[in-house]
Amino acid sequence: MRFQLNFKSGKPVYLQLVDQVKAAAASGAVRPGEALPSIRPLAEELRVNRNTVAKAYSELESQGVIETAAGKGSVVRGQNSPLKKAARLDLLTHAIDEAVIQAHHLQVGKADCLRLTEDRFDAFQHKRDRLPQP
Amino acid sequence: MSLMSPDAPVIATDHLVRRYGRADAVNGLSLCVAPGRCYGFFGRNGAGKTTTIKCLLNLLRPTSGAVSVFGLDPARHEVDVKSRLAYVPDHVAFYPWMTVRETLDYFAAFRARWNRATEAALVDQFRLDLRQKASHLSKGQRTQLALITAICPEPELLVLDEPTSGLDPIVRREFIQTVIGAYQDADPGRRTVFVSTHLISEFEGLIDEFTIIEGGRNVLTLEADEARSRYQKIYARFASEPGTFDLGGARVLRQRGCDLEVVVNGNAADVMERLRARSPEALTTEALSLEEIFVTTLGPGGAAA
Repeated sequence: MRFQLNFKSGKPVYLQLVDQVKAAAASGAVRPGEALPSIRPLAEELRVNRNTVAKAYSELESQGVIETAAGKGSVVRGQNSPLKKAARLDLLTHAIDEAVIQAHHLQVGKADCLRLTEDRFDAFQHKRDRLPQP
Repeated sequence: MSLMSPDAPVIATDHLVRRYGRADAVNGLSLCVAPGRCYGFFGRNGAGKTTTIKCLLNLLRPTSGAVSVFGLDPARHEVDVKSRLAYVPDHVAFYPWMTVRETLDYFAAFRARWNRATEAALVDQFRLDLRQKASHLSKGQRTQLALITAICPEPELLVLDEPTSGLDPIVRREFIQTVIGAYQDADPGRRTVFVSTHLISEFEGLIDEFTIIEGGRNVLTLEADEARSRYQKIYARFASEPGTFDLGGARVLRQRGCDLEVVVNGNAADVMERLRARSPEALTTEALSLEEIFVTTLGPGGAAA
């Protein structure tokens, strides 16, 4: 997968990496069982501190997105998050709240917002479907 | 060698003062660098960066105040301190009659450890000719050689003083990649980098904390991520000229006709609210890069101006 950092987004660099891996996993750009680049070459390529990459990977691991497999490095997990459903819903509620707040300020109503959410679900599904099956 | 707790600072200065004659080069500087950090030391030419570094290395004695490296006084424990750090100065000089090979062996002779595999990998990566005389090396090659002599002993602290000034962009890029890759390769939690530079944008991704120094004083110390979230540039465009109004302490960068651009430091939400109240047609924010934060801090109207 390709990473793109933007130092002007105001978002911590390690979080940008976390979000990009999560987005790639959700859209099928990286598949379960696929290995992420190891820390040193990725840090060198992006010219960021190794600690930043290490912090991103440990965050991804604690969120259950990746796991460290002996001999393979950091690999993307399948659909078996180690977190309990309640904890996963909690995390999602937080993300949804942010979208709801944004919708309020952008004067986008509930119906439009829900329709858009459905569209986005479909868009991600569509991306995954278009990938050749391994 | 003294025992240190793992989080004890690698570098600490306390109200450091260093005078040349009657001029203060460093004037009450306090710094604290934790192990494993990549710490940026930013300042304009003549701000006191090199003088501070010379005090850390015991090349200069402080006029007053305290300096400690690995918890030790670099004057009283000079060998202990110097054996655990490496230094790449801005002007690198080697014995002109030595070849690259002889230069590497000469530096290795002073060190308890010397990683031959790293040496070979870096000589290869930089395409240095081991038989070349040091006097025939370009400035870029001399800096590369200095970096190899600094990394091979696997020091706990790497002190870089304007390491990339005067180098071409490719050599600069390789230099930074080498610091990230080869230096931090083993035990990154104990590999500390202290880099003084005014070419800030190149080190943007590497820096996790920085100090801006001006007139020998600490003007600003922040974590890089926090700095980028606190300092924001807000751009607003209005349907008609907004005139002057209370911006809640935001600093106006540019106001021309219907366009307004301001910089905020930690109060973005409040300033955005004030701008929104005037129904702008467009309202966008972006974080300042470390270089822009440097310019904002030291430029006209900044905290240090």
